Amino acid sequence: MRSKLLLCALLLGCFGLHAQEGVAVSGTVTDATSGESLIGASVIVVTGADGTGGVTGTVTDIDGGYTLNNVPLNATLRFTYTGFAPTEEVVTAAGIIDVAMGMDAQALDEVVVIGYGTQVKRNVTGSVSTVDAETIDELKPQKIEQALQGTVAGVNVTTQSGSPGAGLNIRIRGISTNGQNAPLVIIDGYQGDLSTINPQDVATITVLKDAQAAVYGTIGANGVILITTKTGKKNSPTSFSYNTYYGTQSTSRKLNLLNATEYGLLLNESYAAGGQALPFPDASQLGVGTDWQDEVFETAPIVSHDFTASGGSDRVTYSVGASYLNQDGIVGGDKAGFRRATGRLSLGVDLTDKLKLTTNAIYTYIDRDALQENGLGAVLFNGLNAPPTLPVRRADGEFSLIPNTAGFGNEVINPAAQIANTFNDYDLNKINGIVGLDYNVIEGLVLTGRVGFNTSNSEGRTFNKQINYGGKVFDIQRSSVNQNAINDNNYTFDLFGTYERTFADAHHLTGTVGTTLFRELGNGLFATGFDVPNNDFEFADISLATGTSPEGARDVSSYSYDERRLSYFGRVQYDYLSRYFVTAMLRRDASTKFGPENRSALFPSATAGWIASDESFFGDEGLVDLLKFRVSYGILGNDQIVNNGFIGSLSGEATYVINGLLVNGTAIGTLPNPSLQWEEAKKFNAGFDLALLDYRLNFTVDYFINTRDELLISNIPVSGIVGTAAPGAGSPTVNAGSVRNKGLELAINYQQRFNSDLKLNVSVNMTTLDNEVLAVNNGTGFIEGGAFGVGQDLSPSRMEAGQPIGYFLGYQTAGIFQNESEIEAHASQLEVRPQPGDLRFVDTNGDGVVDESDRVNIGDPIADYTFGGNVRVDFKGFDFSAYAFASVGGDIVRNYERALPNVNRSDYFLGRWTGAGTSTEIPRATTAATSNNVFSDFFVEDASFLRLQNVQLGYTMPFRKTAARPSSLRIYVSGQNLLTFTNYQGFDPGASSGDPIGGGIDSGFYPVARTILFGANLSL
Amino acid sequence: MKSKVLSLTLLLFFVVTACDDDFVERTPVYAIDSENYFNAEADYNNALIAAYDLLQASYLNVMLGEIASDNTLAGGETATDAPGIQQIDDMIHTPVNGQLKNIWDWMFAGVQRATFIIEFQDKTEFEGRAQIVAEARFLRAYYNFELTKWFGPIPLKSDARFALGDESSIPRATVSEVYDAIESDLTLAIADLAVDAPAIGRVSRDAALALLGKAHLYQKEYAQAATALLGVIDSGRYQLADDYASIWELTGENGVESVFEVQYTDAEGATFDCFQCSEGNVAVGFNGIRNHTGPLYDNGFSFNVPTEEAFNAFEQGDSRQEVSILDIDAWAAETGATFGIGNEHTGYYNRKYIARKGDANIGDPVLTNPNNYRSIRYADVLLMAAEAFAFMEMSQDGKARDYLNQVRRRAFGDMDHDISASGPALQDFILRERRLEFVGEGHRFFDLVRTGRAAGAIDGFTAGKHEVFPVPFQEIQFSNGNWEQNPMY
Repeated sequence: MRSKLLLCALLLGCFGLHAQEGVAVSGTVTDATSGESLIGASVIVVTGADGTGGVTGTVTDIDGGYTLNNVPLNATLRFTYTGFAPTEEVVTAAGIIDVAMGMDAQALDEVVVIGYGTQVKRNVTGSVSTVDAETIDELKPQKIEQALQGTVAGVNVTTQSGSPGAGLNIRIRGISTNGQNAPLVIIDGYQGDLSTINPQDVATITVLKDAQAAVYGTIGANGVILITTKTGKKNSPTSFSYNTYYGTQSTSRKLNLLNATEYGLLLNESYAAGGQALPFPDASQLGVGTDWQDEVFETAPIVSHDFTASGGSDRVTYSVGASYLNQDGIVGGDKAGFRRATGRLSLGVDLTDKLKLTTNAIYTYIDRDALQENGLGAVLFNGLNAPPTLPVRRADGEFSLIPNTAGFGNEVINPAAQIANTFNDYDLNKINGIVGLDYNVIEGLVLTGRVGFNTSNSEGRTFNKQINYGGKVFDIQRSSVNQNAINDNNYTFDLFGTYERTFADAHHLTGTVGTTLFRELGNGLFATGFDVPNNDFEFADISLATGTSPEGARDVSSYSYDERRLSYFGRVQYDYLSRYFVTAMLRRDASTKFGPENRSALFPSATAGWIASDESFFGDEGLVDLLKFRVSYGILGNDQIVNNGFIGSLSGEATYVINGLLVNGTAIGTLPNPSLQWEEAKKFNAGFDLALLDYRLNFTVDYFINTRDELLISNIPVSGIVGTAAPGAGSPTVNAGSVRNKGLELAINYQQRFNSDLKLNVSVNMTTLDNEVLAVNNGTGFIEGGAFGVGQDLSPSRMEAGQPIGYFLGYQTAGIFQNESEIEAHASQLEVRPQPGDLRFVDTNGDGVVDESDRVNIGDPIADYTFGGNVRVDFKGFDFSAYAFASVGGDIVRNYERALPNVNRSDYFLGRWTGAGTSTEIPRATTAATSNNVFSDFFVEDASFLRLQNVQLGYTMPFRKTAARPSSLRIYVSGQNLLTFTNYQGFDPGASSGDPIGGGIDSGFYPVARTILFGANLSL
Repeated sequence: MKSKVLSLTLLLFFVVTACDDDFVERTPVYAIDSENYFNAEADYNNALIAAYDLLQASYLNVMLGEIASDNTLAGGETATDAPGIQQIDDMIHTPVNGQLKNIWDWMFAGVQRATFIIEFQDKTEFEGRAQIVAEARFLRAYYNFELTKWFGPIPLKSDARFALGDESSIPRATVSEVYDAIESDLTLAIADLAVDAPAIGRVSRDAALALLGKAHLYQKEYAQAATALLGVIDSGRYQLADDYASIWELTGENGVESVFEVQYTDAEGATFDCFQCSEGNVAVGFNGIRNHTGPLYDNGFSFNVPTEEAFNAFEQGDSRQEVSILDIDAWAAETGATFGIGNEHTGYYNRKYIARKGDANIGDPVLTNPNNYRSIRYADVLLMAAEAFAFMEMSQDGKARDYLNQVRRRAFGDMDHDISASGPALQDFILRERRLEFVGEGHRFFDLVRTGRAAGAIDGFTAGKHEVFPVPFQEIQFSNGNWEQNPMY
């Protein structure tokens, strides 16, 4: 560590603190409003603008006092304190300088990044939200996406899985396309990736939600997330911070399953009902049996360290950081582990008075292992379906095998054996960064040139151990190892000029014009070796696994890509008296994603604003500090589709057996669509910002209508006559739909500093979302997707005009047939004639027959309302914060139950129908064929939930020594996902695969972990 | 200062315009454009392999052709295992049926791949091109024959691939138009096909003749059927295998009796997501014995289980009975093997096509069995010829009896079981013989339908409805009113 600091000192020219001749200054720092002294305010000596010296400083003591010796005359003292406007005083003589600090003007001078530039927050006319480093600090996210959940109105974050390192879905203002809905991510100006970022490296997250994002043209339709990484500040001494935490994670939920006795009795009943012999003639001896959930869930550790040093002289700023995170899974432990190490260097140098260099580079290493999740073959799916009558291990110590006799299915295997026999490894090495130059040509004109890049190499390895699970589909007869190496690179080159000028003290104009060039290229190489020595992961490398497939079979494959985009853009921002604002933007994009007929596109947009509170009729000292009205409209694009979708390629599979050997030929792959073009998003937003009570109470309200036209529908279902069901073939991507999202966003923030001991900050936000598909122009008027159960032929989820995207289409139930006469009286129902105790489906079209045409909308996974809220209280050295998130009105499909006679069941089955009048909800138990397992509202549940995401209690001890910098040690305890209130029976009502169609189908989502963290933050 | 700004602005302009749209004009890396193919002999050969590939997907046609008939029951694990298959067995299938959709999609994929070659048949000249185009025509006829057997009228597009939108504009051609197209393809193919197949697994001229004869037989065009089939018989290139049992083992593949076989291997498997991707015979694993532990046979999913009635249809002394149908209880008693009980357990297994031990089964063991499908056996040619001669207007019962008795003599190993009947009785004997000879081979349902005997034999069969299967629900939707559903579905 010491050598690191030394290196930093040498490299960055932070020459340490050395004594200078000067005068002694002392004084007291107080709160201008209350007159109370401020403890721990920082006082920095800024020694001249010529860059000759370093920086020195101190912090105020418990009485708000400070003393500095050797302050050069005419040096500037800068006083800063969180929540207060920074104040500067020039030292003209030795003596006392007392300072009364005023409240920060509510961050209105705060600068917001808006893409190819920044803007003072007060002047922003688009719908823009930010998350600051403080929030990130409080939330302690393992992945940066988590910091957006519940903290920003209009942004919904769902987990794909609670597995460490698993992806998260970010949706800005709803789901607008059946294709890629993920927002564009720009890190310090270049296109980047959220999923690999160390949250501690992030200074702010800015979300562009409306036409403000139009400066990003064809890539901005899903909204834009701008990440600013941490940099040093000029003229500040080196500050060090070290943060660490250790925690334990456990599952946030266990399902209530049947124990062995209940299971045995249920099976007996269903076998009897099916006219078969009882499997457990004496069920009384079964006891409670094995709790498979206890076998798969464990308490898993998590540990994190990160270190940052930053500061700056008057010409140089620097920030270096390093971090390490190690998180094991609550299922599978280190077999579902996530490890991340990062290193970061940010350096800014004023090369000359006019030429400014900014650079930063981030290195990331990720090691992630994973178990099979969410679906047939998933560990948790097996954990829920494995029979409780079976022990984990047999008497001889080997894992017991789930029988492959009828009733258990071919895919339900012993989950403990599965964890033990799963071996894989994924490693990512990545460097991303940017080098930029700002050239201040003349007053007001800045030229910026910069190159941002990402380059990453990942390696994957899966060992398929030769294994027998008892005649199941996961048995492996011959061991093999799959290895892959993937190389992804991209760069963003920006060149733009910004001219800013004020005319006649009233007309303020900023013009930006430039170009962006983006290219991504890479390749992947995949290979398999067979016959791993000793059938052991330790030897699972192709160099040792020298077996090959039989002649003609290919053990290798690869892909390559080279995608490019060329853009020009211009933006004019004008305001009159900083009261009336107009912005106009235009961007032209040409992209290799689109067919030759539609290679380039123009994206115009405009925003306008009016600060009404500046008008004279508001008076000077009113209740209202700020009232700003905003409106925006623009057209943006989405180009996130398959590469080369406009050219038919011979990428299909053509393998046949000639002369007894495999022979490979060529076949058509995915069908092309030469007229492929971007999706077009028309975004309207109107809203206002209101600040009251000296900016202590702030409201932001927005109403939006986003219409997405020319939806790119990939692999669009088409008639089989065109051959898309052939091996390796696929349907084309077609612009064939339209979706509209409407909604209201409300964010309220209240902060009050009662006195120096007590501060309160409360934020709440709410978003409503109304999603409707306006058109699907593929002949059928809908697209289907998702999967329910096993062997069911109808897709459960649809995108269809007049309905929310991805709504669930299935049978509506009307209770249970209680007796034969009810069946007689009812419409003839599906293929299998029902018996008393079976579900009664509604003949919705009244034609006397219940068939597929009677399926109706039985729910949709889109929440109607989402809420986020947080509270922070600071009392003396203590701080307390809590974050909660609620989602109301979405639905989720219970699909983790394998519809087989001998698998285990949830305990709601204890309330099943056992005779007339016994149940009106849960059908009978039987092994006979029934239609009870077809997709109906019996399987759809309300996914509404309220989750306490984070609660944290900390205590800060300021160091009393006269340090040159504010130094403190904070210790805290934090709980994540402590409580979830929901009626949903499954593991996690908040999980989603993220698929627009079929997204809310729960095939055994890995639940989020309940985590208790103990941590410390040290600042020096 | 002004000039500096000007020069910088010019520089910026230059840099910006220098990267014009050429930057995004790039050809895809490492990709072959499907519409600029067929530039060399190898391209044609490669495309031909693709056209053959879909033959392997016809495993489902074979399996369901039995299950739909009176020969076997659906079986499987439970009554809800593969509901589409269960419903076809019980004749309660509807247009919503995953397996029927598969048959539609896979056979049309075969049509499409064969037509790809035919569409570009004139592009590049080389010696041997006619042979390749002829094979493509045979394959298209094969796929179209399957499609019309299953679905009746189907859309046709002669020398070009179907394009998107054709489903809502091209009508379903009548069955007789479909047969005309099949005959036309086969006639053109026969003219160019080599007498000897260029390689094992590829089609010979006789195979095309046999298929032509079969197509005529399905249309009751007995004279034309007889002509075509006689072409195969008179070639003298085929004979009945001496030992009926030997046909069904690995060593019997592509043997003396084989006119056309769909080739499978255990060398490359697939997953449950993509049955049509398997290079193995998926039906064999599905038919296999449930939880079998014992010699000779591998495990399977106990689908397609023969009924007792089918087992008892054999006469005393017919060697085909125990070759074709495995009595699992007798087997267990004899060898000590154990087995599981699945849905609709009858005690019998479809022995011709159940999984054997000793295969590599790479990939999923159940989905990767190497058993070739004996699509057209010489015995079939003989019995089809017998049928044609017995049913034709000026029937030639002598010829018919001769062909029939050739098959029977092998079955019984003697001449004592020869049939001497004539007229309608002979006709009945021939049709009955087809059932016994081909049980388990996927012909039964269509034989019953085309001879008008299905309603009497198959429980739940409704005449006027079940002769063909419904066009998949999704396809009717795609056609947007262009295609009408088959009657009564």
